[in-house]
Amino acid sequence: MATVQSHSNGLPLKTDIQIGLRRKRQMRMALIWGGFLLFAAWCLNGTIIEDTDWSRIGGRNGVFASLGRYLTIDWNLLPELIVPTIETFMMASVGTVLGCFFSLPVAWLGAANVTPNKIILYPLGRFMMVISRSVHEIVWALIFVSAVGLGALPGVLAIAMRSVGFISKITAEAIENIDAKPVEAIRATGGNEFQVLYYGILPQIYPVVLATVIFEWDINIRRSAVMGLVGAGGLGLLFFRQMNSFNYGGVSMVILAILLLIMLGEIISHYLRKAVT
Amino acid sequence: MSVLSVRNLRVRYTVKGPEILKGIDFDVEGDDFLAMIGPSGAGKSTLIRCVNRLVEPTGGQITLLGQDVCALNARQLRGLRRNVGMIFQEFNLINRMSVMDNVLSGRLGYTSNIRSLFRHFPKKDISQALDYLDRVGLGEHINKRADELSGGQRQRVGIARALMQQPKLLLLDEPTSALDPKISREVMALILSIAKELGVPTLCNIHDVQLAKEFCNRIIGLQDGYKKFDGATATLHESDLEEIYAMEVL
Repeated sequence: MATVQSHSNGLPLKTDIQIGLRRKRQMRMALIWGGFLLFAAWCLNGTIIEDTDWSRIGGRNGVFASLGRYLTIDWNLLPELIVPTIETFMMASVGTVLGCFFSLPVAWLGAANVTPNKIILYPLGRFMMVISRSVHEIVWALIFVSAVGLGALPGVLAIAMRSVGFISKITAEAIENIDAKPVEAIRATGGNEFQVLYYGILPQIYPVVLATVIFEWDINIRRSAVMGLVGAGGLGLLFFRQMNSFNYGGVSMVILAILLLIMLGEIISHYLRKAVT
Repeated sequence: MSVLSVRNLRVRYTVKGPEILKGIDFDVEGDDFLAMIGPSGAGKSTLIRCVNRLVEPTGGQITLLGQDVCALNARQLRGLRRNVGMIFQEFNLINRMSVMDNVLSGRLGYTSNIRSLFRHFPKKDISQALDYLDRVGLGEHINKRADELSGGQRQRVGIARALMQQPKLLLLDEPTSALDPKISREVMALILSIAKELGVPTLCNIHDVQLAKEFCNRIIGLQDGYKKFDGATATLHESDLEEIYAMEVL
């Protein structure tokens, strides 16, 4: 069978077609990458090149000298650290427990198979999950500081509100994935809705819920460490004060304390999670 | 008067879906141990769940213990369900709870929310549960978790749970199909002897015709939502079975 030849260079026509296709693909890739690089350059220009006060940075040495100030650690701060560290730990713990209490009703509303009302309450539950997560913990803290004043209480409330989203979402998913058979059995004994929830559903979801709460608590220790930046107590407040008084060694000391606390939380949560699963 | 009487029962799961039960009539008398046989998909499970309204009938009438089942409100329905013990194909136990708590959950219909919150059941219930656990042969396993038991033992927990309700009717939904043949016989024999002892009429879905003939005094045959046979076990002949299972043979 004779192959069809192209007019110009004597190669088979299908080679020409293949080369054409490859050219097209190469052009497309070049366009995509070129566009991406242009976009990145535009962002870089807008945020860093135009937005930085270059005259104040000074030379390269100035930058390193400024960073170097943080390398000293002000050990004299140690006695002042103890109470805020405990406060941070407690804010995280109390906030998590409170968040867990808020989460259960939200999960109940937002789980498709148990929600008391599919048209109004189910979307409401889902909406609360989204709101909790889409507002940053610092923003929650600002809101509660303006509502209840300075101290640990707004921090606890902010952490509770921020925790609801994740805990209730995982809980609702666990409820939606339960085995319906024990539920049917409890219903058949004449159990009411509360008993069906408590005996049929809760035993099935509680390992998942517990593991999630422990995980959230671990994250909440990180969150409560910065709560003080907006006046909501804990190590963040101390951090803020050291920064304002230009005590860079003190700032490093606070960061060290935060690091240790978070590591402690990580270790505790690792063993707790192992214990429940 | 019959304990349970079903008239012209019809069920559709969705408005446009196929009709699962197409006008079923039957009665359960006070001393019946009644088997309902038929190929899978005949509507046996649906029928048995209509009796305590785990499935809502779309038409017909069910009279249980003198009450019109379909006319009850939620509270009255719970009151009725307390009187109907149910035993399930896959036992439907709460796996993470102890054997004892599973058996006690049979009393939930009689227990207040506060008591059930703390699993604080009355002494009388606990001693009753211990008696029933002995009766079904689980006296040694009371404080184990339900998922530590074998299939046959789990079904015995299911039996004890149903008995805790002091039932006036027992519903068995394929109680032996998850068990091996030897255990199946033991479990059926146990249920039969307890039902006779307590004088509780029983309605039993079962696809094993041999077991049905062996243990039940009356048999109802279902096929594709229609009742094809209803009579004493002795009157069930090969030809009736062929009719009931005709679709499966094809």
